[in-house]
Amino acid sequence: MSAPRPIGVLRTTLVLMRKDLLIEWRTRARLNALVFFAMATLLLFSFALGPDTRLLERNAGGYLWLAILFASVLSLGESFRVEAENACLDGVRLAPSDARAIFLSKALGNTALLVALGVLLIPVMVALFGVKIVLGLGDLGLTLVLGCLALSAPGTVYSAIASNARARDVLLPLLLFPLIVPSLLAAAKATTLVLQGDPMHQLGSWFGLLSGFNLIYWGLGFLLFPKVIED
Amino acid sequence: MTSLSTLLVLAQAAANPVGTGRIQGGWGYVWASYGITWAALALYALSLWMRRPRTPFGSKE
Amino acid sequence: MGKLLHRVLPGVAVVLLVAGAYLGLFWAPPDREMGDVQRIMYVHVPAVWMALLALTLNFCCSVTYLFKPSWKTDAMAEASAEVGLLFGTVGVLLGSIWGRPTWGVYWTWDPRITTAAIMLVAYVGYLALRRFVEDPEKRAVWSAVVGIIAAVDVPIVWFSVRWWRSLHQVQSSPKTVDPLMVLPLRVSAFAFLALMIVFLARRYLIALAERNAEVALPEALPSDDPATRGGSGASKVVA
Repeated sequence: MSAPRPIGVLRTTLVLMRKDLLIEWRTRARLNALVFFAMATLLLFSFALGPDTRLLERNAGGYLWLAILFASVLSLGESFRVEAENACLDGVRLAPSDARAIFLSKALGNTALLVALGVLLIPVMVALFGVKIVLGLGDLGLTLVLGCLALSAPGTVYSAIASNARARDVLLPLLLFPLIVPSLLAAAKATTLVLQGDPMHQLGSWFGLLSGFNLIYWGLGFLLFPKVIED
Repeated sequence: MTSLSTLLVLAQAAANPVGTGRIQGGWGYVWASYGITWAALALYALSLWMRRPRTPFGSKE
Repeated sequence: MGKLLHRVLPGVAVVLLVAGAYLGLFWAPPDREMGDVQRIMYVHVPAVWMALLALTLNFCCSVTYLFKPSWKTDAMAEASAEVGLLFGTVGVLLGSIWGRPTWGVYWTWDPRITTAAIMLVAYVGYLALRRFVEDPEKRAVWSAVVGIIAAVDVPIVWFSVRWWRSLHQVQSSPKTVDPLMVLPLRVSAFAFLALMIVFLARRYLIALAERNAEVALPEALPSDDPATRGGSGASKVVA
């Protein structure tokens, strides 16, 4: 299955990712849908909790990540639906491309999409919830990237599984939500620290934690994904 | 070792009349817990029995 | 072997269960601080142990399956997940009941409880996956993958919640285990162990029989044609 091929895993990954992003760029259907969905989610949080600005400001980091998480379920589900339509995944695998490269390209593509979504959501969040970014944009960007990476790796494995099962729209969140609790927790916490200041210098340890999760999830996905899509 | 356990018994005896912080009663919680456990185990056993394989297939294991 | 497992062991389990309940309810002394409520421990702790044992077995079966596929391993994985979920649910429920009189609340965001709850949800997902995939071979591979990821996730959840909670006060309940409390706990634990082995063996046979039926009659399975599935999740959102 995973014998070394003349064309390396990384190059295959780049080619496949370019393909996915090109499809995405030509239609922009997915990103549009995600942005409106996530913005609606953010807006709904303010309605659900009432116009208490203090409360909204304090919890803004958590709302941002919940919006990204809900949107990521849509995005992840879509990422293999595209391939399922004309049995494209079989074609890609017969190309031949390494299954691990398919994993990396899908997971990185999803990360890119989610980061783009986050970049668009942050100004909305700042406006809606009246937050100030105390620690600067660099830290916020790092949180966003690390958090989206940690959502995408397990999400890609599970969406590959769920896209072939019955009731996949139920199955993906059911499998994914318990799994990403640690990532969600760490990302939301880090974002809150970035937004509200970090007097006790905890941000570094949350970044470390998120990086550790990423290492584990990406390693697991890299190892297990070939099993998922082999016949 | 024995002296230690005697000490413990003494300490317990000394503490008991005072009863500081000791939760009184609570048998309701205990019975509820044991009841839930037994009910869950019995129901699961029942469900296993209902789902038992009818064909002689795997019965020789 | 089969006779011992299916005839003798259930009897042993029931006898031990009754003995453990008697020892725990009437023979053991009440705890110094928690009083009689502490008697919940004699069922709560063994239930949690058995859940961890069964889910560890599930992890082992999942790993084994990926290296050496076999219906027996797959059937055992299915059995251990379900039995583990049963004992885990009982354990969490009892922990919650125990928390009411001792901590004053049914639920706290204590790392242990939180991790247990998330673990249960993860294995509910695992069993749902098993139900939602018709092709037995794909189901076996996918559930093995999900089983491995879920098992690896458990320590991660534990770690992250502990870190998250470390900003708050973490409640603790110091336990000094009296020898008079060890015996009921031990008897109870062996009763649960015997019962779990019986359940596992029974459930394993059921799963194996299902697999055999599925493999024998592949045309009886619903078709797995992707064309029959509508894919309009995202377009609905746009519209």
